[in-house]
Amino acid sequence: MIELKNVTKSYEINKNNLVVALNDVSMKIEEGELVVIKGASGSGKSSVLSLIAALSKPTTGEIIVDAKQISKLPDRFASEYRRDNIGFVFQKYNLITTLSVKENILLPLVPLNPDAQDADAKLNRAMEMFKISHKKDAIIKNLSGGEQQRVAIARANVNNPKIIIADEPTANLDEKLSLHFIEMLRELKKLNKTIVIATHDPLFFGLDIVDIEIEMHNGVVI
Amino acid sequence: MRNKINFYLIEYAINAILRQRYKNIFIATTLTFLIFLLTSIFFITNSIKYELNATVDALPEIVVQKIKAGRHYDIETHATEEILAITGVVDAVARVWGYYYFENAGVNFSIVGVDEFEAQYKESLKRVVETSNLMNTKESSMVVGSGVKETMQNNYYKDYFNFIKPDGTLKRVDVVGVFDGDTQLESNDMIVMSKADVREIFDMRESKATDIVVKVSNPDEVATIASKIKLIFPDSRIITKNDLKISYQNIFDYKSGIFLALFVVSLFTFFIIIYDKASGLSSEEKREIGILKAIGWRVDDVLKEKFYEGFIISFFSYMIGVIAAAGFVYIFQAPLLQNIFTGYSQLKASFELPFIFDVQTLFLVFFLSVPIYIAATIIPSWKIATLDADEVIR
Ligand SMILES: Nc1ncnc2c1ncn2[C@@H]1O[C@H](COP(=O)(O)OP(=O)(O)O)[C@@H](O)[C@H]1O
Ligand SMILES: [Mg+2]
Repeated sequence: MIELKNVTKSYEINKNNLVVALNDVSMKIEEGELVVIKGASGSGKSSVLSLIAALSKPTTGEIIVDAKQISKLPDRFASEYRRDNIGFVFQKYNLITTLSVKENILLPLVPLNPDAQDADAKLNRAMEMFKISHKKDAIIKNLSGGEQQRVAIARANVNNPKIIIADEPTANLDEKLSLHFIEMLRELKKLNKTIVIATHDPLFFGLDIVDIEIEMHNGVVI
Repeated sequence: MRNKINFYLIEYAINAILRQRYKNIFIATTLTFLIFLLTSIFFITNSIKYELNATVDALPEIVVQKIKAGRHYDIETHATEEILAITGVVDAVARVWGYYYFENAGVNFSIVGVDEFEAQYKESLKRVVETSNLMNTKESSMVVGSGVKETMQNNYYKDYFNFIKPDGTLKRVDVVGVFDGDTQLESNDMIVMSKADVREIFDMRESKATDIVVKVSNPDEVATIASKIKLIFPDSRIITKNDLKISYQNIFDYKSGIFLALFVVSLFTFFIIIYDKASGLSSEEKREIGILKAIGWRVDDVLKEKFYEGFIISFFSYMIGVIAAAGFVYIFQAPLLQNIFTGYSQLKASFELPFIFDVQTLFLVFFLSVPIYIAATIIPSWKIATLDADEVIR
């Protein structure tokens, strides 16, 4: 279970300028739920995802994931928490564009020093699940946007995390590819993953697999 | 599983190096060259130091010269008898020697006279007397150093040489052997022949000698004996091995000064590279670190990977640089660089650099290069890796 309790997040742009991205936000996400966070650009969606993934820390308030206070984790444990629990599909994918598909998907496993068989099994499972096996040796920058996204999702899943987070996953896709993405979500939902998606794409609104829709505006949940 | 070497991480590091191929080739080349230069300098310095020490060790303990009007004159040979009478003196030998200017090559060679029936003051001379048939030939003959032989051959003299005596007449001397000295510095430009022949070439009377070398039984008594000789011959200059050692070292220190300058220049260049590297990462590199952190790498995972990157490049450069320096100095005899040294007497022929295996040098160069380069690779990455990943990839 993921819980945000009275979370405020402000960014200091300079000494006199403070941007309040989130203002007293609280929410609860149960295990296995698919949650869509919607709202206009700048409403604070990405900030929520960052906090859940322990990529940043709240200014005030707390974030609790599976009874653990992840908002107070020291950097080292925050990394381990991400490694073991979170699969993040970034808006800009954040792939290493000069490496191959295979190498990118393996990246989260590298610090774990897995044995080769284990790593291969995980790699192949992720590549097959997201239908990118045929491109495994291709360099990322030679792939189309849709293919890059599938690599990003495969990488997010390679370590079999419980929580999948996706930031504006369909923003760079045409309708056909967007529907493909929704099919992939269906697969993940079958595996009982907790899924949190930030989007303003109407394609997700009222979708059968979506359990909860949370709407945000100017840093507040409405 | 934790203790195993992480080959995935090493593979990633190698990949990272290859992805920035041209930049890293440039860095490795520069680093290799600097390590090569630095190691060569140390190798040459060590070899020369060794040569000089060996030369000094082979020097006589006391040399007595006659001084008149502040200049060096020939000394009477019978002075040896009075010196021998001093307690503690084992031997006193009148030496006959001098420099001969070899005009065609513009080089000075030293000619040393030996006498079969005298005790030799040097091992190398003893060997010459015992092994060559210098004394048994009817004709005048000589044994020459390898540098002398080479110079003569380059100037069309193969088996003999015509020395020009002070009165302008010629004296033919046959080459009967090659001199093998205790050190290269000594033997290279030396010619050994009988005292009588040397006297003839330099027009020196039978009763005179160039100087007298004195052997003492106890090295601690050198100073006392030197002052006793000075009392007997007030017109003499007494040079002890210690004096010579100091003057040799002065020449060498001056030379090592030049090398120190070179050393400083190469270190300076090295630190410029280091500074450039340490002063910042490209936005691409920063982003990559941010991504790695965002997908679950810990700071120490990132730093380990950077360590491998730095180690691979610097250790590779170190190995190549050191091996190249050893080949350059000991096999090829350090062309160009050696001239800076041997140039101290332009009249001296060049000599061989002996191989001295010096672990200290290897360690010193290692610690001046590898850890510093690794630190320069890690520190800027560490700065980025400890920031919030969110900030870095935004
Ligand atoms: N790292 C940051 N530094 C400064 N301002 C930020 C940062 N991240 C987000 N913001 C600001 O916080 C607000 C919310 O941003 P964000 O959470 O990205 O919203 P959304 O994802 O809904 O577009 C915006 O005004 C944005 O400019
Ligand atoms: Mg956003």
